[in-house]
Amino acid sequence: MQWQRSMFNLLKFRGVCQAAARALHTQPSSAASALALIRSQPNQYVIASLAGRKYLLAPRDLLTVPRLNDVRVGDVLALSEIHEFGSREFTLRGDPLIPQDAVKVAATVVEHTKGKMEVIVKKKRRKGYVKTIKHKQPYTRLRIGSIDVALPDQV
Amino acid sequence: MPFKLPPATKPVLRAQLSSRPANGHTAFIPQVRKLVFEYSEKWPSSSRTRTYLNNHLEELARTNPHVEVVVQQKNHREPIVRGFYLNGRDKVISLKEFEVTQIQQKVQLLLDSSGAKIKPLKRRIIESSTESARGIWSGLHVPELYKI
Repeated sequence: MQWQRSMFNLLKFRGVCQAAARALHTQPSSAASALALIRSQPNQYVIASLAGRKYLLAPRDLLTVPRLNDVRVGDVLALSEIHEFGSREFTLRGDPLIPQDAVKVAATVVEHTKGKMEVIVKKKRRKGYVKTIKHKQPYTRLRIGSIDVALPDQV
Repeated sequence: MPFKLPPATKPVLRAQLSSRPANGHTAFIPQVRKLVFEYSEKWPSSSRTRTYLNNHLEELARTNPHVEVVVQQKNHREPIVRGFYLNGRDKVISLKEFEVTQIQQKVQLLLDSSGAKIKPLKRRIIESSTESARGIWSGLHVPELYKI
């Protein structure tokens, strides 16, 4: 229950006039009801960090990150650093992270590729120094799965 | 001109019946379906390829049951490995004078790939077919109308 109390203190609300009026009635009394509010809306998003960078992710997205060497194609990763979970009118921001029991997002490794060939030419004038470097940056592509929100009865 | 009544039932537009590709969202299907190794029996450029085929191929086929592994003898030709993918494309890598460890690296490259054409990925961080959850801002749907 610890995480529920801490999360409730951090519920951030934003929205248009109508939503403001409506939400005054529906201001959540607990973190579980806050999650239920967000869950009730049609689409949700998540701001999670992966490989040191933050991304705004939705289900079915294809995310490209620099190559993750410890991971094989087909592996499923659970995103452990979720900073924000939101929908059209409501957002829940973690302090600094949202606990993993509350919101779960899985990402499947789809492929390990390389980018297009980059040709880097280094030159110093009047010294006869010209160097050509050919480089292909390796990447890993991940498919984001659906966002699982903990139900009030599951806590 | 005779007045046309609107249809009784809402017309089904065929574009909305098509599915959006999302391999890996629920189920993941590996994209590589076949690996074909072509080698020469006599030429020295194929010698390490022959060693690889004798020693490492069986283990490769066992650890990747979704891949069909084919070995073809092509005399008087340089050795090649060809990967076939589910999108209909194929990737060909020459193994001329390659050591066994280098061959293993190239085979792993083929197994990891999805068969898509190599494209610049530096700016393509997120490819999404979902509309944004928060919607697009409009100056007319705001407490105070936005004045340009």
